[in-house]
Amino acid sequence: MTPVADADVLEIGRTLAAALPTRRSLRALDDKAMGLASHDAELRAALFRFVDVVPACRSLDDLARHLAGFLDEVGDRPMPLDVAMRMANSKAGRATLGAAAAAGVRHMAHRFIVAETPRDAERIMRGLWEDGVGTSVDLLGEATVTSAEADGYAARCAEALDQLTRVYAPLPERAALEADSIGPIARANLSVKVSALTPLLRPDAPELGKSDAAPRLRDLLRRARELGAHLHIDMESFDSREAITDLVLELLSEDEFRDGPSAGIVLQAYLVDSPALCDRITSWAAEHPRAHPLSVRLVKGAYWDHEIVEARQHGWTAPVFEVKAQSDRNFEALTVRLLEARPHVRPMIASHNLRSVAHAIAANAATGADPRDVEFQVLRGLGDDLQHALAHEGYRVRTYCPVGDLVAGMAYLVRRLLENTSNEGFLMLQAEGHSLEELLSAP
Amino acid sequence: MTLPAFVNEPILELRRRDARDALEAGMARLEPKLPIKAPALIGRDRSDGDALVSTDPGNPDRAIALAPLCTANDAKRAVEVAATAAPAWAATPAADRAAALVRAAAWMRERRHELAALAVRECAKPWGEADADVAEAIDFLEYYARGALALDRGANLLQVPGEQNTMRYAARGVCAVIAPWNFPVAIPCGMTAAALATGNTVVLKPAEQSPGCGAMVAEALRAGGVPPEAISLVPGLGDVGAALVADPRVHTIAFTGSAPVGLEILKRAADVPDGQRHIKRVVAELGGKNCVIVDGDADLDDAVPAIVRSAFVYAGQKCSAAARVLVHEAIADTLLERVGGALATLQVGQADAFGTDVPPVIEREAQERVARFAQLAEREGRIVARHKEVPAAGWFCAPTVATGLPPQSDVLTEEIFGPLLTVEAVRDVDDALDRVDGLRQALTGGLFCRNPRTVERVAARTPVGNLYVNRHITGAMVGRQPFGGNRLSGTGTKAGGPDYLLQFVEPRVVTENTVRHGLVV
Repeated sequence: MTPVADADVLEIGRTLAAALPTRRSLRALDDKAMGLASHDAELRAALFRFVDVVPACRSLDDLARHLAGFLDEVGDRPMPLDVAMRMANSKAGRATLGAAAAAGVRHMAHRFIVAETPRDAERIMRGLWEDGVGTSVDLLGEATVTSAEADGYAARCAEALDQLTRVYAPLPERAALEADSIGPIARANLSVKVSALTPLLRPDAPELGKSDAAPRLRDLLRRARELGAHLHIDMESFDSREAITDLVLELLSEDEFRDGPSAGIVLQAYLVDSPALCDRITSWAAEHPRAHPLSVRLVKGAYWDHEIVEARQHGWTAPVFEVKAQSDRNFEALTVRLLEARPHVRPMIASHNLRSVAHAIAANAATGADPRDVEFQVLRGLGDDLQHALAHEGYRVRTYCPVGDLVAGMAYLVRRLLENTSNEGFLMLQAEGHSLEELLSAP
Repeated sequence: MTLPAFVNEPILELRRRDARDALEAGMARLEPKLPIKAPALIGRDRSDGDALVSTDPGNPDRAIALAPLCTANDAKRAVEVAATAAPAWAATPAADRAAALVRAAAWMRERRHELAALAVRECAKPWGEADADVAEAIDFLEYYARGALALDRGANLLQVPGEQNTMRYAARGVCAVIAPWNFPVAIPCGMTAAALATGNTVVLKPAEQSPGCGAMVAEALRAGGVPPEAISLVPGLGDVGAALVADPRVHTIAFTGSAPVGLEILKRAADVPDGQRHIKRVVAELGGKNCVIVDGDADLDDAVPAIVRSAFVYAGQKCSAAARVLVHEAIADTLLERVGGALATLQVGQADAFGTDVPPVIEREAQERVARFAQLAEREGRIVARHKEVPAAGWFCAPTVATGLPPQSDVLTEEIFGPLLTVEAVRDVDDALDRVDGLRQALTGGLFCRNPRTVERVAARTPVGNLYVNRHITGAMVGRQPFGGNRLSGTGTKAGGPDYLLQFVEPRVVTENTVRHGLVV
């Protein structure tokens, strides 16, 4: 294909940047707190540990004691935190502090977690649809350690498929969101996690988790097919990559799923061997023609810290790129390969990095394809501004919307906070005032 | 001589297919050699035999290693050889001794897949555990080689004008190593390596259940260049161990095993018969009754899998394994339900199947012991969950969770060394600490809690040798988690720690007056 010219990327990036909404003051306040945390490792640790424990605290008093315990370990406390520490010394102070902190965490959680159930999220989903934005709903849950919990998650997913179908059925037509050159695109879209569909995901025995999750996933695929909904299987840490990849490709190879449902898999560009997996997926797709081509969501990957820590603890070479620019370059290379693999796959570019997104738009244009033949995806709470700009410019955009209660959502929330306060993250660099040219330059 | 800084031997990355294939290839190479010959090695004498046979716990009719059954007399002969060779090995430069250990580590590294396969067959260690066992053996060799070099430089003392003070660590003499079967490569290798690195000669008695793995340890050390006279191998039963302990020419006894045997060794070693001119030292690692405390703020998503792993992996046959859960009453019901549910997902099966959590226990006696405790738990308390499908052939035990036991129950105080876990609801962390405090053993402990102040409080109060916070309580790593217990769990030494080697040496201080006619010369 025609190579992607940096000048094109820059121009597209500028257009998108101009379409970013001006910041609301409430959001700015959140960003400020996270900005503070990102520059102080101890404070960041205290914040994460506190957010993490909130749902397990049984009273405001308990909450305040935990907060004081964490802040105790921060050497250089900004003024307001010293005040908090003093409040924790009295019972009345702890009640006030606990209430304030709980409210703070709830506020932060609502930025990333849309509602407790898909039904409660109806208003938000309808609003997004009106703005020209689709969703993929993710049901947050506690870790699955028993078969009953796996069954419970599968049942919640089935119910969510029904609810999403009901929510989306009466909404007015949105041509931009409902078809590409290949064919129609489902409105209801659910993302599921294999680790929640089985308690048996073992890194050293992928067969176990695969065969245990298969019946539950098969039922969900059938339900999605009946409802005409899209089912997307998320990727998780490297420990389960083999099991998840094999499971998805094997199930979708079964005859009964040839005509549906629309389904998808995830490719993580931070994995050093992701080009090989990309080959495997695209060749599989070419060899297995489906009524709805396999959707491939391209992401950088959300478990970077976990992968690095695990590799360091075991003395292994990390499976991920250690330098962020390597992931960014790989993301662009994989973008091109997925675009070229059409019509066997439907590429979904999931990034909040303006450069990566602008590059994908330019690369798509260079193939001569319609702008709607590539989908963009963002995370609720992190990519809201970009989502707005993409929709405004007429691109197909879908927002990943986690749904669930606070307890269940904590692991997710902490991961998102980590991403938001990572010093190298695009959002952070942007907030720090790096120039657009700099942010849009080739990685 | 300087060696590069110590790093742990990486365990195999079994989440990658090629690593799993390599282990299975190791098994394929081992299989045609079974049963292997595990000789007695006394100095340069080698004798084979088949009076002592180790079998596959998952297929008890199958012999894995054939060894001669050494006698008390053989033990004495081996001590004689070791005593004669002791001065020369002690006089060998520390750097040469360290180099031999490092070469032994390399020998094991080259054969790690086959060694792991042998541990799978002889002791029914599941693949991941067997691989970690071999990696730990390599760690001990590398770690103690470095430690001995550092020790050889002596200690720093105050120096004043006219006086020169030096402190050196000399080898103690003959060390008898009496090893267990549950870490059939790592533990004999660790105790032996510590003694050899510091210049002692060794007579190694491997566990009667694992003479094959024990022979590999001796072979590795000899292949690395340790003289045959400095490392003898005497496979046998309890009488061989007793003869070693009683021998007046033995200086140090390094033992890992059960508390009754360990206490008996301490008693015997205290005897000083006529002609013995030293006090024996005993390094003993005994059992545990390890408790995991779960506070009300614990994340059960983490705690439940970690508890299940700590209690049931390798059928609970680790000294560090979890035996009791002490959980805050506010979350006790939830925890019990989730642990019970997780128990049903445990893979009970043969050790050579990837994914197996609970292999058979080591032998019939162990299976019967676990069954007795399970019956007692049923009588005195309540069984919450018991694994349903357990293979008939092989020494399998059904993983079990019990609760509602009276405080004085043997199930709560005796080491069971099998897949039986008890759960007790406690009022708070202090209640849990009181219960831990009531035990004779103090090896490992666990704490799930997210309040840093509570963590500090528990760390300050618990008597255990190794406390693990917010993680599983097994799998101590050399150099990272020096391992060993207090109270009746052992002599308080820490294998794989910075001061372990001090147990194998005697310090000697020389003070020289350097003043002559009022001048410092």
